[in-house]
Amino acid sequence: MGDSEGGGQPVPGAPLAGLSGSPTPGSFGTTGRGPRLLAGGGRRATAVSTASTLIVVGALVAIFLLAPGSADVRHTFFDPQDMWQSFIGNPKAGYYSVGAAIWLNIRMFCVAEVLILAFSLVIALVRQSTSPVLFPLRVLGVIYVDFFRGVPLLLVILAIGFGVPALNLPVVSHQPLPVYGVTALVLSYSAYVSEVYRAGLNSVHRSQVAAARSLGLSHPAAMRYVILPQAVRNIIPPLLNDFISLQKDTALVGVLGAIEANNAAQIYGSTVFNYSSFTVAAILFLLLTIPLARFTDHLIERDRRRRLAGGTA
Amino acid sequence: MRRIMIAAAAAAIGTSLAACGSAGSGGSSAATASPVNICSQAGIGKLLYQPGVLTVATDKPAYPPWFIGNNPSNGKGYESAVAYAVAKQLGFDSSHVKWVYEPFNNSYAPGPKKFDFDINEISATPQRAQAVWFSASYYDVQQALVALAGTPIVTQHQPFQLRRYVYGDQVGTTSLAFINTVIQPKKQPKVYNTLNDVKQALKTHQIAALVTDTPTAAFISSSEINGSVVVGQFKSTGEHYGLLFSKGNPLVTCVNQALATLSSNGTLKKLQKKYLHSYLSIPALKS
Repeated sequence: MGDSEGGGQPVPGAPLAGLSGSPTPGSFGTTGRGPRLLAGGGRRATAVSTASTLIVVGALVAIFLLAPGSADVRHTFFDPQDMWQSFIGNPKAGYYSVGAAIWLNIRMFCVAEVLILAFSLVIALVRQSTSPVLFPLRVLGVIYVDFFRGVPLLLVILAIGFGVPALNLPVVSHQPLPVYGVTALVLSYSAYVSEVYRAGLNSVHRSQVAAARSLGLSHPAAMRYVILPQAVRNIIPPLLNDFISLQKDTALVGVLGAIEANNAAQIYGSTVFNYSSFTVAAILFLLLTIPLARFTDHLIERDRRRRLAGGTA
Repeated sequence: MRRIMIAAAAAAIGTSLAACGSAGSGGSSAATASPVNICSQAGIGKLLYQPGVLTVATDKPAYPPWFIGNNPSNGKGYESAVAYAVAKQLGFDSSHVKWVYEPFNNSYAPGPKKFDFDINEISATPQRAQAVWFSASYYDVQQALVALAGTPIVTQHQPFQLRRYVYGDQVGTTSLAFINTVIQPKKQPKVYNTLNDVKQALKTHQIAALVTDTPTAAFISSSEINGSVVVGQFKSTGEHYGLLFSKGNPLVTCVNQALATLSSNGTLKKLQKKYLHSYLSIPALKS
């Protein structure tokens, strides 16, 4: 954690930097570029924090290694041989590759994300509408959001995945399992994301609408060119937050019998009685979600810098 | 002051850890000290999870014909009857057998078990035996196919035809390995959390057939899914069900003695006839 750029100190000439549009470290009396894990304080602080981190981590590791059942737990959850076997899979021995199965999670996530973004925007716009003609739709929107935010996602997945095929309709009832899983994810997550959109729309000051309308823009045009761009910029971090959550929740589709990473891990676990496969699945999910989490942090930080730079961005 | 308290807390944790360690080693030395009459009344008494009673575990729901009426403690159904027969051999009358609920997926978790043995149609395999201990066989398993009447698989099930269909099974059963080694389908099987989910998938045509042991298959087709039939059963691959024990539990020796007695005096055969017989006249499948 080297603070070679002098994180805590105000940078000389900061106002100039602000005018030129580049970030302004140290403005508003914060430490460096935004809230940090390690607030400044020089070498001594770095040494103390390093030492305390080592002690805490060391103690946790020691407790883990010295616990009476440590060897059992290490063998059951972290056996390298089992982790590798579950990663590559062996259908003839009765289990599938967790590494290949995560591909299904990724595909489900990508499709679901696009559909959620579009569908939830429609819900949010309907709920924000003011036209008396749309009143029944607004009521439906409220009921929809209340319902799908209130019902556990797992139940929605089970109801769609087992209920829709049971209806025995042409085409609709004869889809692959991931289609039902994605449908359930879209239904449930759209309820959450529409609320995020709505918060974004509400965050744009009403004078913006008035200004756009006074320029002669119709209501839809004002929404499209003035309100939405500002609203969406405000909600990118919470949207990404929901999508990190969505990446993990694709694992719930496994209950329908689809062999995604979590189900593949469970199959391995119950076939050879070892949970190391779940560790593999966890690592793979981390590899997926951490980049998105860091990207979210990056966007939040960039947005913050732009605002502090004078709101010209 | 605060530092002293932290140090005291750390010391307390340290001593409690040490206490756990010594308790563990004491237990194992006691077990090895009296190897001779370990299966005597007194010897078994020392090995029990709960003093005075034999604690037997199974999953919920408990399926027929292994259990009847979802009630393991009524002594009806093959596994319930076997558990009571084993208990009797070990010297426990039926009032000293206690049933506990243990989901299959928890039965092999590391750490102390909360039962003496688990009886839940669990196949004994060498890989699994690294995590838990199994008794000798109390039932030799054959796998069977259940399908809806009138679907293609009911009439077209030559080995090369069997490869065309989509199969379903319950997670953790050995049926999945069986499907992939013996049937070798072209499409990936679907794997469900519970047997009820598999049945639902069959009813809604998401799978062409479900694979499970013959008695379960026969029960599903005769009583649970209207319009379903057992297509046939495959020949044995040497698979068998065993009672599940925590790894290193010496009680398995005594239970194996009991099972050997029950096998040689014909009790197991008699119970199979009573509870499983009507299910065993299923046509054989080529594989």
